[in-house]
Amino acid sequence: MYGGGNTFEGVKTDSLAQEDPVKLAEFEAKIARGEKIEPVDWMPQLYRKQLIRMIEQHGHSEIIGALPEGTWITRAPGFKRKLALMAKVQDEVGHAQLLYSAAETLGKSREQMIQDLITGKSKYSNIFNYPTFTWADSCFISWLVDAGAIVNQLANAKGSYGPYCRALDRICAEESFHLKYGHHCVIFLAAGTAHQRKMFQDAINRWWTPMMQFFGPSDKISTHTEVLMRWKVKMSSNDDQRNQFLDMYVPKIWELGFTIPDPKLKKNPDTGRWDYTEPDWEEFKRVINGDGPCNKERLEVRRIAEERGRWVREALKAPKAEYVAPLA
Amino acid sequence: MNGNSLDPRVNRLPKIGVPGQVAAKAPLDQFGTFEVFVQPKEGKPFQHEGAVHAPNIEMAYVLAKETFTRRFVCSSLYVADTRNVYVSPMTENTTNAYDLIAEIPQQSGEKVTFEIYHLLRRGKQHIHAGTVSAVGPQEAMLAAKAQLRGDKAIYNVWAIRTSDIRFTSPEDKDLWVTLPEKKFRDASDYKGGDKLKEFLERAK
Repeated sequence: MYGGGNTFEGVKTDSLAQEDPVKLAEFEAKIARGEKIEPVDWMPQLYRKQLIRMIEQHGHSEIIGALPEGTWITRAPGFKRKLALMAKVQDEVGHAQLLYSAAETLGKSREQMIQDLITGKSKYSNIFNYPTFTWADSCFISWLVDAGAIVNQLANAKGSYGPYCRALDRICAEESFHLKYGHHCVIFLAAGTAHQRKMFQDAINRWWTPMMQFFGPSDKISTHTEVLMRWKVKMSSNDDQRNQFLDMYVPKIWELGFTIPDPKLKKNPDTGRWDYTEPDWEEFKRVINGDGPCNKERLEVRRIAEERGRWVREALKAPKAEYVAPLA
Repeated sequence: MNGNSLDPRVNRLPKIGVPGQVAAKAPLDQFGTFEVFVQPKEGKPFQHEGAVHAPNIEMAYVLAKETFTRRFVCSSLYVADTRNVYVSPMTENTTNAYDLIAEIPQQSGEKVTFEIYHLLRRGKQHIHAGTVSAVGPQEAMLAAKAQLRGDKAIYNVWAIRTSDIRFTSPEDKDLWVTLPEKKFRDASDYKGGDKLKEFLERAK
């Protein structure tokens, strides 16, 4: 799972002027032909930097995203749900491993990425800064947050960087179980008692705003990503992804008899796109920058894990090892 | 931690230092990398799947099994230290990677076997192409050029000394026998259609 709301650094294209124009043209032609870029190929600094940033954020989102759901493993209703949720959370952590490896091929070590996560320097998907009060919140994540992640990941899997695409192909294949499991949980809540229905309705009411923010700021205010689109780093705009998600999942939520807390939400028959209340992007920024309900707890849990695992890492350390980035 | 978490386990965690102050990590805090190769089905060639970090090759094998083969069918797996993988130049379009491997004078010494991997399509995985004997890695690539090149375009060649690989022993192949039983990891185990239909009927 993962959020499309990457915080791309304001893309400064002036560094492009320093790149070798011949190599740059070859690089762009290769991408335009639909070929993949591999770690040893020449690439502009900006491409490398933005990809590291994006893949790293994606990896962190998998790690942190495992926390709000992981918290429900011990309290999952029944053995089957517990088993499934454990498997799902394990998958998410496994995805982080795949993604960190992909980012490493670009020249940032995993140690540095982990360090940047626990010191708060790197970002992760904003939605995981919200708490899972009830089992229904965890079901909302399994079904709808994963659904949003899949919209984003399927698009990115067609991107230009070979190792990232290969990691995403594997991740998307694994995610299909998450989505089905999440929907299954929600169907059972919907078809359950009045109390169970209310639990999920409350979860929708809590999560809808973060879910809308999940795909990142509106295209109107997003920093210009034209060069990232041309380089197939970013594969579709935030608004397009949001729209695709609404198209696929709003009917499914309504089918189950739930309501969505946005009076403006409806498909516009003229444009074929969804109208909705613009999410509060100031709040989004504030939460990303550390002021959300769970930011502190999420990072604290990671720091404690890091600290408590130190003796294991030290005991296993191989004195002759030297660092080399993975190959592909 | 601070007792404010909704998660009782989080509340039981010990306090560690001041938040925001984290000691810098040592450069090799999380160990070196190992490349992972998986055989999806009996009779199919091994293919490169990715990398794991591990303190040694035995741990790399264990972590690779968990990272790469816990979900889908697998018949075998092996790992090799990234530093022991010899890599040819990467090519594109019609340039064959084998054409960029420099000829070297015949080497003296004992011949050992090397496993050779080809990248047949850019963007895809390296696939095991065969085994050759040679004194060193460069000679192995030249031997592969003569024996394994075929007429397909090859964009990248890897060579690994067979003795540097941690293979799955035949008696350990049952590691994956129970995979098909783990239905709870499979989307097909979560069919909600009947329940949904029943609910929709009732809601009418």
